[in-house]
Amino acid sequence: MTRYILKRLLFMLLALFVIATLTFFLMHAIPGGPFTSDRALPPAVEAALNKKYNLDQPLLLQYLDYMKGLLRLDLGPSFKYEGMTVNEFIAGGFPISARLGGLTILFSLIVALPLGIIAALKNGKWQDMFTMFIATIGVTIPSFVIASLLMYVFSLKLGWLPTFGLDSWKGYILPVVALGGYTLSYLARLMRSSLLEVMGQDYIRTARAKGLSELKVVVRHALRNALIPLITVLGPTIASLLTGSFVIEKIFAVPGLGQHFVNSISNRDYTTIMGVTIFYAAILIAMTFIVDIFYCLVDPRIKLD
Amino acid sequence: MSEDMEKMDKWAPLKADAEEREKLWSKSLSFGQDVWYRFSHKPTALLGLILLVLLVLFCVVGPQMVSHSYETQNLDFVNMPPSFKAYEVDGRYIYLTPSLKLIEVAPDGTLMKPLARLEDDGMKKRMTFDMGDGTEIILNYKTKPPRLENAQKEPYTVFKSFRNKTYPLGTDNLGRDMLIRLMMGMRISMLIALIAAFVNLVIGILYGGISAYAGGMTDTIMMRIVDVVSTIPLTLYVILLQVMMGSNGGILSIVIALGTVYWVNMARVVRGEILSLKEQEFVYAARTLGSSTWRILTTHLIPNAMGPIIVTVTMLIPSAIFIEAFMSFIGLGVMAPMASLGTMCNDALSTLRSSPYQLFLPSLAICLVMFAFNFVGDGLRDALDPKLRK
Repeated sequence: MTRYILKRLLFMLLALFVIATLTFFLMHAIPGGPFTSDRALPPAVEAALNKKYNLDQPLLLQYLDYMKGLLRLDLGPSFKYEGMTVNEFIAGGFPISARLGGLTILFSLIVALPLGIIAALKNGKWQDMFTMFIATIGVTIPSFVIASLLMYVFSLKLGWLPTFGLDSWKGYILPVVALGGYTLSYLARLMRSSLLEVMGQDYIRTARAKGLSELKVVVRHALRNALIPLITVLGPTIASLLTGSFVIEKIFAVPGLGQHFVNSISNRDYTTIMGVTIFYAAILIAMTFIVDIFYCLVDPRIKLD
Repeated sequence: MSEDMEKMDKWAPLKADAEEREKLWSKSLSFGQDVWYRFSHKPTALLGLILLVLLVLFCVVGPQMVSHSYETQNLDFVNMPPSFKAYEVDGRYIYLTPSLKLIEVAPDGTLMKPLARLEDDGMKKRMTFDMGDGTEIILNYKTKPPRLENAQKEPYTVFKSFRNKTYPLGTDNLGRDMLIRLMMGMRISMLIALIAAFVNLVIGILYGGISAYAGGMTDTIMMRIVDVVSTIPLTLYVILLQVMMGSNGGILSIVIALGTVYWVNMARVVRGEILSLKEQEFVYAARTLGSSTWRILTTHLIPNAMGPIIVTVTMLIPSAIFIEAFMSFIGLGVMAPMASLGTMCNDALSTLRSSPYQLFLPSLAICLVMFAFNFVGDGLRDALDPKLRK
């Protein structure tokens, strides 16, 4: 176990290193510096700016500098916002995004689990068909389409919910539903198929043969084992939630990290793009790692190697 | 026949002639026929296939049948909805747009021309328009909703519903035809699907195939590379690549971005399949007979691994389409005047309140494309690999 964890940790570090390097060189492969893009600056100003941000150094030195900064968890200054560092951007935006993401996971689980369980227990009946129909819709329709349609119906036509911002609890409803649509459908489908598989196992027959009530069979014996595949996909699911929230945050003008990321793309704010990418990647990798470890703790049958 | 059977002793050996014996056998099917049988007996899969064919026809043949071009702007007819109500004014039909313009409509629904505005009295909130033959009509926008009046301040109240004949699906906020833009947008989605599938197929099969077949150190190194690439959040990297290549690259850069990043799964699937196949007897047999490595790969290994490979491709296509729409939506996809379903959705957000159809149409198109590919993909998965059925 310890060996496995150490191996995984080493691998995570390697992956992060590759990601940081790739991101750095990708960003620097863009023709023109960050200040040459829109208005033509006087050459002296441009030179001064380049000097200020160390852009006049050879690329390799800049790279070493950036990596040194990364070791100290310093992502450098923002190019477009005078006096802001990328760290400050992340510290300001991430809590909001994380709250939105957390609520979405919670919402998806609360809706998906009962849906999946009902569908599995009523396999082939109308409840099953209905759930799978909803789930197919949820998986196929992109989140930005769901978000814009929800906004049109509930904010513009009915006026029940605000179109933007997270000032009150009402502001959370639409972003969470739009963001959770895919996750919810995916989890419900997974719950259904996993429960169906478990229900066909021998130990369920044993439990029934012992004379346990159907409720006890499902809750005590089936559900516990059926939940395991769900835990496995939770890591990648959180990953897709975080990246999916770029668009949702943009549509609903949520001042989270995703919004910053999209804005920094359109502003060509290279350090921020780099910083946020590395930050996201680190979180996602860590998330998969934690879930994997957790997975082994939950199901002792799984052996790590 | 059945009555005879009942009269017979049930335990007597059944006497059947040669012809009847044949009937016990079902028709033997080739692999392709078998796949098609399973595919065509799944209603959603067939539905998806039909939908897909219709969509392809729509975006390939469609543009030839539309007289407008996707980039021509007609600023006279901005934000024209697909259907609308027009006032009847002295036997002529006048449509009042939400942006307070008057457009004359022919009785069959063809848009004719906007009326000339003579004066705009901002104080009284009244605009005067010339009907073209000297008569004047007045647009009173003090009231909500605004209304048309004649010179004696009597409002016109007779309406007639029209379907927009000039632009069957309306125009966008620059006066471009929605129908042709939808077709072009769908073309891009289909193109992306096609190229992404092809690129991933080629890279994935080559990479996975070489890795599995070479084995040993080469395999280890190649697979570690895959491991690292697969820990990278792909969406982020597609976005980064797109930023790097500059959005003026358009479709090409999206395809490159998708192609460089999304082959990882395919490589893993191919490697797994080939690893298990290459230990099987028919491969040993081929090797004993002296077949070259290349021949074994191309005639024995890859065709036998095709099932899971096709399944992976069909899973990949909807996600490629989604990524393109998503990137166009955040402003990194194809650039104007080219249309993509994602850019159309994004453009529509600013005029959502007054022209919701501009959002609904591309949204519907995206959903149809996604549904079609998902259904076909699911069907193919079940048909090619019944074990995977869920």
